[in-house]
Amino acid sequence: MDLFLQYLANGIVIGSAYVLVAIGLTLIFGILGVVNFAHGEFYMLGAYAGVLTVTLLGLPLIAALVVVIAFSAVLGVLAESLLHRALRERDMTSSIIASFGLAVALQNAALLTIGPRPMLLQTDLSMLAVEFGPVFLPLPRFLIPVAMVVLVGLLFGVLRYTWTGRSLRAMAQHRTVARLCGVRVERVAMVTFMVGAGLAGVSGFLMSSVLMVTPIIGNMIVLKAFTVVILGGMGDIMGAAVAGLLLGVVETMTSAYLTNGLRDIIGFVIVIAVLLFRPQGLFGKSVERS
Amino acid sequence: MTEFSRRRMLGLIGAGLAAPTILRAQDTSVLRVGGMLPLSGPGSIEGHQVLKGLEMAVAEANAAGGVFGRQLELVMEDDEANSTKGVTAVRKLIERDEVPFIIGTYPTQVVIAATQVAKEYGVPMLSGGSTGAAGTEANEVGDPWFFRAWPDSNGQGEDTAKAIVHQFGARRVAILHDSTNYGNTLADQVTSLVQAEGGEILSRDSFNVGEPDFSPVLIRLRSERPDAVYIGGWAGDGANIVRQAAEVGLRTQFVGSGSMVSDDFIELAGPASEGFAVATLYESSTPNTFGHDFGQRFKALNGYEAGTLNALGFDSTNVAIEAMRRAGAPDSRAVQAMLKDGMADFPITMGPDGTTADFDDTGGVRFPMFIAVIKDGKRTI
Amino acid sequence: MKAGLSLIIAAVFIAAPFLTGGYELQVLMVALLYVTLTTGLNLVSGYAGQFSFAQGAFYGIGGYTTAIMGRDLGTGFWINLPAGIVVTGLFGLLLGIPALRLKGHFLAIVTIAFQTIVYLGLIQWSGFTGGQNGILVPPIGEVSLFGATLVDITGLTAHYWLTLVFAVVAVWIAWRLVHSRLGREWVAVKDDETLAGAVGLDTTRAKLTAFVASAAFAGAAGVLNAHVMRGVTPDDFTIWISCTIVAMMVVGGRGTFLGPIIGAILLTILPELTGSFAQYKLFLFGVLLVVIIIALPEGLVGRWRKIREARA
Repeated sequence: MDLFLQYLANGIVIGSAYVLVAIGLTLIFGILGVVNFAHGEFYMLGAYAGVLTVTLLGLPLIAALVVVIAFSAVLGVLAESLLHRALRERDMTSSIIASFGLAVALQNAALLTIGPRPMLLQTDLSMLAVEFGPVFLPLPRFLIPVAMVVLVGLLFGVLRYTWTGRSLRAMAQHRTVARLCGVRVERVAMVTFMVGAGLAGVSGFLMSSVLMVTPIIGNMIVLKAFTVVILGGMGDIMGAAVAGLLLGVVETMTSAYLTNGLRDIIGFVIVIAVLLFRPQGLFGKSVERS
Repeated sequence: MTEFSRRRMLGLIGAGLAAPTILRAQDTSVLRVGGMLPLSGPGSIEGHQVLKGLEMAVAEANAAGGVFGRQLELVMEDDEANSTKGVTAVRKLIERDEVPFIIGTYPTQVVIAATQVAKEYGVPMLSGGSTGAAGTEANEVGDPWFFRAWPDSNGQGEDTAKAIVHQFGARRVAILHDSTNYGNTLADQVTSLVQAEGGEILSRDSFNVGEPDFSPVLIRLRSERPDAVYIGGWAGDGANIVRQAAEVGLRTQFVGSGSMVSDDFIELAGPASEGFAVATLYESSTPNTFGHDFGQRFKALNGYEAGTLNALGFDSTNVAIEAMRRAGAPDSRAVQAMLKDGMADFPITMGPDGTTADFDDTGGVRFPMFIAVIKDGKRTI
Repeated sequence: MKAGLSLIIAAVFIAAPFLTGGYELQVLMVALLYVTLTTGLNLVSGYAGQFSFAQGAFYGIGGYTTAIMGRDLGTGFWINLPAGIVVTGLFGLLLGIPALRLKGHFLAIVTIAFQTIVYLGLIQWSGFTGGQNGILVPPIGEVSLFGATLVDITGLTAHYWLTLVFAVVAVWIAWRLVHSRLGREWVAVKDDETLAGAVGLDTTRAKLTAFVASAAFAGAAGVLNAHVMRGVTPDDFTIWISCTIVAMMVVGGRGTFLGPIIGAILLTILPELTGSFAQYKLFLFGVLLVVIIIALPEGLVGRWRKIREARA
């Protein structure tokens, strides 16, 4: 039982990283209809931005966080101009292919400039740990679910109570009507990408003290995040949050109780099953989607 | 003595082949040599490290006046760890750039596909970091076209298993390995040899390269209480495992595969790497004087300690350049003949002091590996 | 003009073995394999309008079918080829089933999930698939009929000719399919599925056949590729290969017949021209893809057709 709780905790940590990446993905999809394969690269570049700020410039963690957010926002604007603004009125395949191209370009740009050596953010925090009964988490790991809860809460607040948030939600519901009601589509699109890239970047930064950073870390996480987005229902933030945690836990349990080799496959098997039997996602209401 | 006379004879043959070159002694055009590594895609992390070794060997040869009075130019192709690309790259290097040999590549499966084609052209290949036994096993015995100047993963598994049982006195061993052929072969070797030496394998788990989170497996291992945990895979994953093991409170003797000897590993694994043991081909603190000198020069050039992958790339290239020099001409078949029989006195950076590129008839070199243990953040042999 | 272009392409591919060396021939051979793969994908994506990012997985399933049959049953290319086509066709049917219920991005993601499962399965099920190291496959070898050797397919040139024949046959079959009643049903499903159903078309059948046909093309190419490359490994069948095939189709012009063929040839040859920029190859590929999608949404052939229509 103690062991089970420890697995659960670890699953939640990994799941929280999935959630942060997946929420951006689901926002960009739900509001703008863009399937963004380059989202894993936001995560990867966010991690590098943080690590390099700390190691090369010697700035404190908080400053690095600011750098990560600013850098990710710029990246988001760039991606929006390529994947959304330049591709308006096109079908989904265009954005899929363009984002695939962007992912390849960004990943190889990182490889060419930063190089292949794995990096890790080493901080004094690694020495500290949090214990709840039998569960033991080093502080950097513990911070990930905490940050996830804070950021998701913040996002909910923004979506619910601010003008920008209302515009975002209006756009998600009906683009043309939103435009007619005075929503500035261009601005909303940019904000959406900035928020999405920012969340992924922060997630990458947080994980950079737990897991190695290399130019290719975005590949798997973007596929996992897609899994989460589908499980949670496309465009559904709360669904993505629950599904992300669930995927993290299921993967951890698979590797703990079955075999580690199955761990990366399990999510994809679940996603196919869910799409066959509940295409609206695990928690979505049954509505016609196309 | 026979070795010497054979070499002399080959030297004479070489001089004969070199005659046309002497006649056109004014040929000072660059001499292209081939390199093929995964420089993008999945194996690129390792590919770029091996590349450092290739570049250094070529630069040193050029600084020493080149070969046959000609400067060398390293032509690199990116195989993206993909056999199709690898085969295409080999054809390009041989036909377009007319290279006398190719250093490449890192993934063993691409090595196998590429060597078959290179052999058809009569161009030898020297491993660009590949250690899988399958690479040399695909060679025809007595006529190898793929050369690897160090032991294959089988030899490594053997040395490691012995160290686990005898040096560390471990009886109950758990194994973690990546799902590449490299990790799998090592795990197989360690499993059978530990059992043969009277040990017990508690569990065996595979992971995908670059897998971020090992904590579930490690927590399970903690409850199995192994005397030793063997890790077969690449440095990044190994460091990750060791760090995360410390985080979950799994304290045992960790033994890793040859790729986990870089300083990167110690840096990445942090204090958790203390006590970690690894079978190693190359160490910057090596007692091998040739290897030690290489380490010094590498550090002066790049600003960080040379790792195994750097040394592998350097040795393959250095041996190939010297074989070409001894063959007397940039003739690929003569280079292969020279590699096969004529390099037994030529030092390599790896293994104990005095190890040479003494290729056996399957194209490999056997020498005992070091078992290095990390103490105070430094590897000691 | 279109016929002229087709003739030029055909002439280049036929003349190549007489004019070029092994490297160029190798590149053209890979291009021909991609022509088969991309033409197959165009059936399901271009004509029937169903997303698929699983062409690389089918390619791999075909290759592994022949590798495993050869290893365990000792059968040769000519028996494994129909077997490979049938096996991949069945997997295509399997993947077609979700397509009955899902559209657009959902389907895209299912195919991505399928592709990833196949890839990871090939790595993990190492007892059967040889793991990351894959399986060695012999060259096709001698083809004999009633004891008489007709042709010996071992060298590069012989494999090239066979690959060319494959590509031509594949393109011909695709042409026939597209211009058959079935092909028109595919287009009807793409244009308006509800309407197609309302006028009595069997949309289920149309979608499933498109998936099966597309997969079968990839399966055939996979079997051939395994023998040509003399082996299969999981890294030859990643999601990136699938995306590359989709990119070829889109760059050439999806839904046009000639577009995907031209896209396959261009995107195979272009990266080879980067020369000493080998390290920047993938970076440039990514950039090029983004630029082409933005500047030429309908693909090269689609754009050309548009220009011609505007003139007319």
